[in-house]
Amino acid sequence: MAQERMLSGCAAAAQGAKLAEVEVICSYPIRPYTAIMMELARMVANGELDAEFIHGEGEHAQVSVVLGASAAGARAYTGSSGVGVTYAFEVYSPAAGGRYPLQMAIADRTLDPPGDFGSEHTDAMSARDQGWLMGWAATPQEVLDNTLINFRVGEDPAIMLPQFVCQDGYFLSHIPDKVIVPELSQVREFLPPYKAPHPLSTECPVSHGPQIRPDQGAPMDAQRAATFLEVPRVIERAVADYNRIFGRNYDPYLEKYKMEDAEVAYFIQGAHANTCKAAINRLRSKGLKAGMVRPRWVRPWPTQQIAEAFAKVKAVASVETSTSYGGAMRGGNLVHELRASLYDLERRPLVTSFMAGLGGDVILLEDFEYMAKILTQMVQEKKTRQHVYWIGFEE
Amino acid sequence: MGEAFDYKKQILEPIKSMRSAPAEEMYLPGHRTCAGCGPALNYRLTAKAAGKDTIFIGPTGCMYVANSSYLCTPYAVSWIHAQITNGGAVASGIEAAYKILARKKKYTGAFPNVIVMAGDGGSVDIGLQAMSAMMYRGHDILFICYDNEAYANTGIQTSPTTPYGANTTFTPPGKAIPEGKTLFPKDPPQLVIGGHPAVKYVATTCISYPVDLMNKVRKALNVNGPTFLHMLAPCPKGWKFDEKLTREMGRLAVDTGMWSLYEWENGVYKYSHIPKQYKPVGEYMKFQGRFSHLKAEHIAKMQAFVDEKIQRVKAIAVEAAIPTPKARA
Repeated sequence: MAQERMLSGCAAAAQGAKLAEVEVICSYPIRPYTAIMMELARMVANGELDAEFIHGEGEHAQVSVVLGASAAGARAYTGSSGVGVTYAFEVYSPAAGGRYPLQMAIADRTLDPPGDFGSEHTDAMSARDQGWLMGWAATPQEVLDNTLINFRVGEDPAIMLPQFVCQDGYFLSHIPDKVIVPELSQVREFLPPYKAPHPLSTECPVSHGPQIRPDQGAPMDAQRAATFLEVPRVIERAVADYNRIFGRNYDPYLEKYKMEDAEVAYFIQGAHANTCKAAINRLRSKGLKAGMVRPRWVRPWPTQQIAEAFAKVKAVASVETSTSYGGAMRGGNLVHELRASLYDLERRPLVTSFMAGLGGDVILLEDFEYMAKILTQMVQEKKTRQHVYWIGFEE
Repeated sequence: MGEAFDYKKQILEPIKSMRSAPAEEMYLPGHRTCAGCGPALNYRLTAKAAGKDTIFIGPTGCMYVANSSYLCTPYAVSWIHAQITNGGAVASGIEAAYKILARKKKYTGAFPNVIVMAGDGGSVDIGLQAMSAMMYRGHDILFICYDNEAYANTGIQTSPTTPYGANTTFTPPGKAIPEGKTLFPKDPPQLVIGGHPAVKYVATTCISYPVDLMNKVRKALNVNGPTFLHMLAPCPKGWKFDEKLTREMGRLAVDTGMWSLYEWENGVYKYSHIPKQYKPVGEYMKFQGRFSHLKAEHIAKMQAFVDEKIQRVKAIAVEAAIPTPKARA
């Protein structure tokens, strides 16, 4: 029987990895993700999970170890936070280019300096162009579910890509919530054992990762781009199976909240979406038709679905939880791709962005209300006054 | 869980002579290494000795770039490229995967020989951390440093094993720095021996002594746990010597004391070849353009460095445990 338990995001990730029967795990301590590894270490120590648990000497090694394990045909799992995510950077492109469907959990943490334990998405967002699948959960339940869904999508023979399974540090990683932990037999129905198509083997020798000529580079890039066009089909099938087997109700790409009649809307990823929904309830009680769209994936970016979701909205607030200093909108990252997604709409909504939730800051109900005020003003004036608003720093 | 499981360790028999070495090549012709390449011979002999149940991990270096150009590779066994930074870590993951797959009965074949073939940079410079951690954790992996004493692939830049006085593109001799490289090199086997209690077997060898080399590879692979081989790999391009003298350079390195052939097994040193009379280092250096700018005082400094090494060798009893073919003049 599936069990309902109180689990933090980290504990939920560890349960997901255990249910996925991961075979090689590589750890290195950094807050806050480290609680995932503490949990897995305990499971391995007491015999709940039969896996090789390797103490990496750093995050670069963590990703390297799981890359090797995946190349040899094992299901492999690692994770990190903050500067740990950036320390491993060199190995991200070989993992994706080598088509190793390993998984890396990320519980976001602000990058240095100065040292800051708080959540901010810049760590993981910096790696979004490395060719991995990537997306954020908003609840511990979704962390567990995404762990399984990502292995299923990443290991699909048509896809074969590594996955960043992200969650906000602390807000999600360390606050327990009700989580339905499924039965292993159900999980086995959903997630077949990993079968590497060309593992490093003594029976059938293979070479992984030889050098290429410059003119062989572009065809490989095109092949990887084409793979990403295949991913949505695989995600849709995986999420439909997941919903059927486990009784969930996920949209494959977006969580949409009160969007049916929304005139203004928030675009936000991660756990701050929960506060956002509460703010929407408040705003609606005061008569403002507000709604929210939360992407479940950043890679692949659900361009079409986002365009459809905002087609009838008048103004959108992109709530940025990461930084892109000097970027086109002078603030965060999400807004660039949001605006690009909406460009082909016949009636484009006005779009601005709000820098919020940086350095581990909470985004208050009042902050969302302030954003609604700006959106209302934009609708009235029929224009975007500013590309970016820094919450708490504006007049 | 893991400890009680029998991973079916294979035992490789000693090789008595070149004639009785396996005929089958696991490192095939068709690669793009330079004429007279020492590292390519290292690879060939190592692969021959290890045999077909082998997986090579090749961190970036000459043996990546020149061997795997244009999607072609010369390996008749499985091989994977690793970054120059992470040979030890990628190998650790491969070895761990085979352990769990064997334990879960998903893999039932012979446990593979997992061999990292790293250059000096990929071993004791940028690759040191990954190598050290792999040894600390006790993985069943043979880590080989094929040492051509420079970053040769990128145009002969100094590495931590480049000898004192060498002219490299990062240590060019000039008016202010006449000797070129002013530092003395790291000692890779001593780095391994000094700080890795899980390592039970370390040895040095050279392509000029092929039977010695192949037997050390086999001996290392027979050990259940991490092992390390330091292989001198003369590099005509980097050292600037006539490409037909590759084998000779290795012999002169041993004859002058610039290099020595030894084993370290469970704390005990054994030298497999000690010259009766050491030649002066100049006999070795004079063939190599990288030393041609040096003055007598610099060569004397090198001689003093080598003399000190020779004193340490002389303090240890010789035991020619490994058959070595006679030198052919």
